[in-house]
This record gives sequence, structure tokens and C-alpha cells, in this order.
Amino acid sequence: MTAFIELKNITKYFSHVVANQDVSFSIERGEVLALLGENGAGKSTVMKILYGLYRADAGEIFQNGKAAAIHSPRDAMNLGITMIQQHFSLVQAHSVTENIILGNVHGAIDREAADREVAALAAEHGFDIDPRARVGDLAVGVQQKVEILKAIYQKTRLLIMDEPTAVLTPQESDQLMKFVKNFTSQGNSVVFITHKLQEVMAVADRIIVMRNGMVSGNLRKADTDARELSRLMIGRELTNAAQVKTERAGGEVRLALDRVSVSDHGAVPSLADVSFEIHAGEVFGIAGVSGNGQQELCEVICGALTPVSGSIRLDGRAIETLNIHERVKRGIGYVPSNRHRDGLVMNMTMAENMLLKTSFDPRWLKNGFIDRKRLDAVSEKAIADYRIKASGPAAILRTLSGGNQQKVIVAREVDIGEKLIIFDQPTRGLDLGAIDNVHKIIRAERAKGKAILLVSTELTEILGLSDRYTVLYKGRLQGIYDRSALTVEEIGLLMAGYQLKEGGAHG
Amino acid sequence: MDEKLRDSVLFSILAVIAGLLLSGAMLLFIDKNPIEVYRILFSSLFRDKYTFFDIFVKATPLIFTALAFTFTYKASLFNIGAQGQFYIGSVVAVAASLFLQQRLPGLFVLAIVFVLVLAAGGIWGSWIGFVKARYQANEFLTSMMSTYVALNFMNYLLRTILKETKGEYPQTNPLDKTVWLPKLVPGTRLHWGFVIALLTAILIWVVLYRTPFGFRIRAVGLNQRASEMSGINAKKLYVLAFFISGALAAAAGLTEVNGMQHMLIQGFNPTIGSEGLGIAILANANPIAIIFASALFGALRVGGLVASQVAGIPPSFIELMQGLVMIFVILSNFCCGELDRKREIRKLRKAAS
Repeated sequence: MTAFIELKNITKYFSHVVANQDVSFSIERGEVLALLGENGAGKSTVMKILYGLYRADAGEIFQNGKAAAIHSPRDAMNLGITMIQQHFSLVQAHSVTENIILGNVHGAIDREAADREVAALAAEHGFDIDPRARVGDLAVGVQQKVEILKAIYQKTRLLIMDEPTAVLTPQESDQLMKFVKNFTSQGNSVVFITHKLQEVMAVADRIIVMRNGMVSGNLRKADTDARELSRLMIGRELTNAAQVKTERAGGEVRLALDRVSVSDHGAVPSLADVSFEIHAGEVFGIAGVSGNGQQELCEVICGALTPVSGSIRLDGRAIETLNIHERVKRGIGYVPSNRHRDGLVMNMTMAENMLLKTSFDPRWLKNGFIDRKRLDAVSEKAIADYRIKASGPAAILRTLSGGNQQKVIVAREVDIGEKLIIFDQPTRGLDLGAIDNVHKIIRAERAKGKAILLVSTELTEILGLSDRYTVLYKGRLQGIYDRSALTVEEIGLLMAGYQLKEGGAHG
Repeated sequence: MDEKLRDSVLFSILAVIAGLLLSGAMLLFIDKNPIEVYRILFSSLFRDKYTFFDIFVKATPLIFTALAFTFTYKASLFNIGAQGQFYIGSVVAVAASLFLQQRLPGLFVLAIVFVLVLAAGGIWGSWIGFVKARYQANEFLTSMMSTYVALNFMNYLLRTILKETKGEYPQTNPLDKTVWLPKLVPGTRLHWGFVIALLTAILIWVVLYRTPFGFRIRAVGLNQRASEMSGINAKKLYVLAFFISGALAAAAGLTEVNGMQHMLIQGFNPTIGSEGLGIAILANANPIAIIFASALFGALRVGGLVASQVAGIPPSFIELMQGLVMIFVILSNFCCGELDRKREIRKLRKAAS
């Protein structure tokens, strides 16, 4: 029997990188195929080619043995292929039903009938969704279900999901896995794009491993294990990322937040009564599903947001009224989670990006002009110290890989953050080598006696690096814990908004 | 980098030629021989000293208005109001010169007028930046509308207090020779304004690429959010960028009034702002390339004028040439980008195999 979809020798170049080279594999009916690889390995690219978002520079796609011409998502959908992007393509202001029927309606819409149809479809798959709800009001996990329903409504036979669990709580992920098993048992196929090994071992039937734009492995799950997969993925054995237990930090209090509240648009506070202390030489972790106030917390400390109440002290001195620039001078470094938007100027050179936060500092000046020799020297030192792969200080930042761009920010912020460094999702989107590197830097800066605030959605990262941590849920702290105080399951419950004291009851 | 520069120079030249060829083809419709017309056009540029240096006379104000557009453009702001800022500069230049010329020595007057013109243009411009920063008013619209205000303000003054003593036309009295910008080359119309324009272009380049202030302007233009998160006050820079932009456009008023016309006439140089905008885009918003692009436009204007007189082609042909050249240069910029992309891919293929 021929495969449902077969990709043959797909090659794709972007202006500065080979995204895919001679990628060939098949997708069978009724299987869950995991597309595993580090970020930047070319997983999303090859799937976007299959979905018609990108055009391959070479190679062919076959459906049921026949050559398929896919030039747009429309073509792909007609062939029964749907892709759920990492960032959903939903109309926030429209209702669930309107989103689901979008693109498949002609003439007058019978809303009631459509609502009923969507409700029936949701019930059939065990999704608890109100068809009339406005998508913008729904939680991210529910929005994902809307995307899935949309695909099912279009009678999709192959569902491609790009990093679907990145936005979900552990419980929501389990639900998703159940759906995937159920969906494929009806003869449909699912492609899971992911870089999480555990997820792959849990759900996949077959695994395609990609590295540097090429397929480095094509295995049945039954025939392999996590060690082999990680070796194929990164080209070397994975050294266990487990914690190196270090002495408990005993320094004085560096950063102290006392009942800090932030409200974005008046009514709902995005941070409510947040209080904690970070000592010198301590890593304080913030766990939680993204979008629960992490960014607001980081920004209120770095000075981009003003708290409506509460105080923030650095070494005992109030800083909540200082602006960003003054806090930079006080020694607060901030590695933002959205580095392209908040931390870098992509069309400037590496050296100029090093200058971004300290352009007011007279040390860069010589006779009123930028001291380029000095700036280049500092940049070259950063390139050497952090092993940044760049042709030099004059390299345009856009031409660097994601991991190297991150190194540029980290180099800059470690330099600025003499007292405190805030790392918001510092390893998101990085490959394993780069992740390891960032972890090493965090440990090294901790050892130097800096206070470190680490925000991450990866529990292993929080548990591996933090001395103490908290869980942030809807802008509130869910208690502060020592590193080994809780099990992963307990943290999962806290992340989903449950309180532990009431025995798992909703808090 | 060298390959890139070579491509962009080569393609710009080809684009200019393509633009001239296509506009030449237009001449066939009116039964003119394009070869003959272009022969007249180009030979006229070099037929005497006066005509040749007139190229740079025409280029001078264009450099200023192109720099005005460029400076805000680097901050990702659009100053469409250079024409109005130029009028404000012209009004201040003529009014201050007329007022001071009897009272103070010439060069001294010029220095004061220069400062006043820059201040007036700057304040006029910074108001656009201010409403953008304070009320998020669209600077594209406010700057464009400010041109009409400036134009009518100028016309109002020309019909009232600035009107010539004879009271015949809506224009001012001629300026005393003492407050003219001195001639640069005797026997031509070229004045020191051109040198000021050249120096200004270099100065703007230095400010943008060699000072922390210019760095911040460009950073805000390329990623406003990252700049603000880095402690840069984007709103303050909006106002400052528009101040400088307005001052640059107003400086064109000084060179035109004190260097060229030596008076202010109603309906004076009505396309200087839009041409400057075109030149800035033509030069890819590079202050140094603006000098060359302005000289090209100056040459087309001067040569085209002679050609229209001698060969009897319509004067609108000059604008047609300018327009087509501009379109081809912009297209060639895209071609260069594509070539660069292809080159990178070839390198990657080589490295992969």
C-alpha cells in the first residue's frame, strides 16, 4: 500500500541558511509521526512546504502515489492536510463557530445550524467548548482545541501540529495526547513537530529525527529509546541536565518585592500582591504557563512597567520610580523572552546591539563620537568569551542563528547586570548545545554572587537551576518553595491554578 | 560587502540608462529623434561653465530637502512636509535679511539669518513630532497638511507686510547684494550654499552613524520597542528628529532666497519637497548617495530645460525622465537584494557539497 503522503528530496534554501536538504520520508495512514529535532533543524520548514506556505527549491510531494502540486494552504486543505501553527491563525474577535466555518461558507449563514453543528462536533471529540464564545476570551489551551475542531470540520486526514504542547499545562497536554490517539485510530494521521523527547516517547508511532536540515533518523518507537534519539538529534550523547547541587546561597537580600501589583488595562491586575526576595548568589525560579504575568513581573523589575502599588528594592534602595535607563545603571540586566521584539535590533550590527542599552554611557565616547575601536574590542571579546558564531562585530544580527543572537543578548545583559540578571525564557527556541551554554552562564553568574531571576515554562530548567522557586498563576504567586520541596505533579497542579493545601481542590 | 557595493553602483547606472531609454522611446510618439534630443541634452551640460555649474545650483536645495526626509525616515517617521518647512525657511530668510541688511554687515546678517532659519524650520517641524509623540497623531498626515498652512502663511505675508514697496506683485523687495550668499565660481550662479549642502550631508552622515544620538535614532527606527525596552526615550527622539528634519528643509529656503532668487516670489519652487523625497528614496536614504542623486536630478533639469528650448520638446519631459529613472533605480535596488540572496545560496550550496 502506498503511503498517504510521501516527501521526496525536499530542499529549501533561505537567504542565509540551508533549511532543508534532500529531506525524504513518508506519512502513513493511522500513525502518529513525530518530527523531532532541535530548533532550527528544519522541522517546521519542511512541514510548511507540505502545507503550501513555503515553496521548495527542489523535490516532490506525492499523495497516494500521485504527484501533488501544493502551492498554497488552500491546495493542502483540498488534499486533506491541515497545519496548526505555533501561533494560531484564529480571528480573535470572532466566535468559535465563525472561526471554524471561516473559509467554508457560501451565501447566507444559518448561525443556529452552524452553532449546533460545531457543538455536536466538539461533543463527539470530548471538547468542552461553547460555540458562541468569543475566541479572544478563551484560554490558549482552548484556542488550540478550536484550531483542532476547525481542522476536523474541514475533514482533514492529516493534522500537522507545530510544538502543540508548548502552551499547555501538563494536564492539558495529556488531554491532547488522548485526542491524538483517538483521531489516528480512525485512520487519520498526525504529525507532531517537537523537540521534547518525553512527548515523543509518549505518543509517537514512528519518529523522524532531523538535524541541520537533513533527516538523521527514521525509526519506529518500539525499536528505539530516548538515548538513541537524543544522539541522533544533537549528534552526541546527551549529558543529563540534572542539577549540580551547590551550596545554598547565603548572601544578603539583593532584590526585594513587597506587594507589587501591576494592572495593564485598569480592571484585571496582571500582577497582584507579588512579594519575594532574592539573595545575592541565588537563583530564584518562576514557573508557570506563559502569559500568567511573567512578562509583567520582569518588566516591572527592569523598569518598563510602573507598579500601581507596592515597592521594589535593590540592595535596600527603592527603585520602583526609576526609569529603565537608571535601573540599567544600577546594575539590572534583563534577557527578555521575546528577544527579536524586545531585546535586539535585527538590522543593526552585532556591535551596535552590544551598545543598545548603554548608548548614554560616556565610556563609549571619544571626542563626542562613538569610540568604535573600543566598541569593536568589547564585541570581539564577547564573541570570543561566549563563542558567538559571527564573522565579527560588523556582522548584521539578522544573519546570526537564533542561538547566537541569544548569546549576544546574554553577553550584553550579563555585562550590565552587575547586581541582578533577569532571564525570561532564556533557552526558548535554542538548540541543546546553546541551552547547555546558557545554563552554564547562569550558574557562573550565580557563583559570582549576582542575584538571578529565572523565568521559564520548562520545569526541568526551573528545578535544575533554581535555589528556590515559585509558580505564577494569573498574576499571583502560588507559594515559594525550596528546590526539592514538590513533585512535578504538584507543580503541574499549581501551574493549572490549584492550591495544594486543599488537597487538589480549586483555589 | 565589495560585491554588494559593486552591484549597487552598476545597477544604479544601468537603471539610469534604462530610465533614459524608456523616456527616449516616448519621444518617438511626438516625432522627435531621441538620439538627437539626448545629444543636445548632454552636450548642453558641458557647453559652457555657466550651464555646467547650474547643475549644482539646482542640486543644492534638493540635497537639503532629501536630507530632511532621510533624517526622520531613519527613525521610521515620514516627514512629507519638507515643502512647507522650506517655505517657512524662505519666509524667515527673506524677512530677516530685509530687516537686518541695512543695520548690520552682510556676513554677520547671513550668520544670524542662518540660525533663525534653522530655528524656525526646526520649531515648525518639531511641532509635528510633538503631536505624534503626545497624541499619536499620524505624522504623515500632519506633516503633509502643515505644508498647506506654510504655503498660505507665506502667500498671506507676500500680499501684506512682505509685499514689495511698488505694491505690484505678491513678492518681496530684492535683497541687498551684501546679504547674498557669496558666489563660489565667478561667472556662474553657483554660490556657497552648495558647499554648505555638501558639508551638511557629510555632517548628517556622521551624526547618524558615528554618534550615540544618531545610533538611537536609527535604533528607534529599526525596532522601537526594543529601543524603548533599552531605556531610549523614543518620544523625545520623535520631537528631536522632526526638529532637525525641519531645520534641514528650512535651510533650503536660505540657499534659494539668499543664494539664488534674492527675493521671495509667490509660488516659489513648488516641487522641491517632493523631489527631495524622491531623491532620498533614490539614494536609499544614504546621506552621501543623496549628493550624487541630487546632482543627477540637477543635471536632468538643466539639460532638459536646454533640450526643451532647443529641440522643442515639452518641459514635462524632464519630469517624465526623472520619474522613470526613479522607478528603475528602485527596481534595481530590489534586483541587488535578489542577487545578494542568490549569492548567499550559491555559497551555501558550495559549502554543502
